[in-house]
Amino acid sequence: MITLCRATLVALMLAVSAIAPAYAQEKTGLKPGFVLAPGTARIVLMRPSIRVGAQSTGGMYEPNADWTDQAKENIATALAKAQTGLGNSVVGYVEPVGAGSAKVAEYQELFGAVASSVIEYQFFKGNRLPTKKRKDQFEWGLGPDVRTLPGLEAADYALFITTEDHFGSTGRKVLQVFAAMARVPITAGVHKGFAGLVDLRTGELVWLNADMQMGGDVRDAEGADKRVRQLLEGFPGKPVEAPIAAAPAIASAH
Amino acid sequence: MSKKLALLAAVATLACAAPVAAGNKLIPAGQRIAVAKSAMTVQPGAEWNKLSERPGRNAETWTQDGDELNDLSFYGGIESGRPLFREVDKKNKPLPKVSATMLITDIPVLLENSYRIARDASSMAIDTIAPIQFAGNKGVRFTYTFSKQNETLQRRGEARGAVIGGKLYLVTYEAPSLYYYDRSVAAARVVADSVRF
Repeated sequence: MITLCRATLVALMLAVSAIAPAYAQEKTGLKPGFVLAPGTARIVLMRPSIRVGAQSTGGMYEPNADWTDQAKENIATALAKAQTGLGNSVVGYVEPVGAGSAKVAEYQELFGAVASSVIEYQFFKGNRLPTKKRKDQFEWGLGPDVRTLPGLEAADYALFITTEDHFGSTGRKVLQVFAAMARVPITAGVHKGFAGLVDLRTGELVWLNADMQMGGDVRDAEGADKRVRQLLEGFPGKPVEAPIAAAPAIASAH
Repeated sequence: MSKKLALLAAVATLACAAPVAAGNKLIPAGQRIAVAKSAMTVQPGAEWNKLSERPGRNAETWTQDGDELNDLSFYGGIESGRPLFREVDKKNKPLPKVSATMLITDIPVLLENSYRIARDASSMAIDTIAPIQFAGNKGVRFTYTFSKQNETLQRRGEARGAVIGGKLYLVTYEAPSLYYYDRSVAAARVVADSVRF
């Protein structure tokens, strides 16, 4: 029975990957003309927003506090390793207390909403907004007031990171099998990852990496490393990838 | 077996609900245009995008950066006995219905109760209500704030509407309070001010 299930799952994966190209979309956006030379900027890494839970058969999200705590710890460790190799000075954000802290949380959510909008209305070509279709365009932001957050006075850029994982339950995976038979692509699990660099002088989003299906199981250290690598892939000014960052993967080139 | 059937039913529902070819349309500035499949027309002063997905049968949404960032929606003549949006869970959580005998002060209440159900607006408050002329009819203008379940992002809204000939006409604009509300509110007001029949 288990073998049968596995075989079905494999068949399903193949089916899904066959459908995938139709849904292929961009995952990185760069403001046209934006370059960040190594060693020129002070970047503040905002505290990542991390949520982990399960996805019920009906697709509902059920938060899991243990998984979320594990993921927070793993991602913090992975980021600490990664942030020294980004080409510019990256320091962790010192959270304010009181009213300032609520404001930070709200900006964190605004970043999540903006990144989701970029995915839905710019990266996904079939659904792109006509006003966002023009050539060489990547106009998104959090507004110039983001620089008024306490602790950002001396910084040039803020790096926002959001991850949200819904691990598919067995029921959800079974539903996916039946759905594939009916040629309806439904996903089992959500593995959102957004990383975005915001210019603190203007509030503009100058670089974004965003995908609804990222790799790496954030509940273990190795997976979190993989997720962070993927989040920071093509980060502007990153030495190893500097040549690649200037190459074709920018959204605006299309 | 019944589980399998339930799953198949779920799949069939999904298949029917699968989006038709998406096609968000450009709304150019300066041209008068009919909205929400109704006799209501507006004249925008700036460019907007009309989303292919409608919130309800006689409704449509315009946006500049995506409906989560700025949402200008029109409800064009919702008949008595009908809800503002498509039902989300008719059996357990039915949406409130429009009534031909509604008073203008019932309009904000209808929106609030509809949002609580259809938009997961866990905290929603109507902040101000004032009588206005809505395309020459007795109407209402109101402002509101809400946030969605599990979110701390505050959203602000401004709406105006009227019950004309027993049907509800309503224009709403809403966006996150941070940055986005102010960014498009002037453009949204130009549209709402221009409503005619």
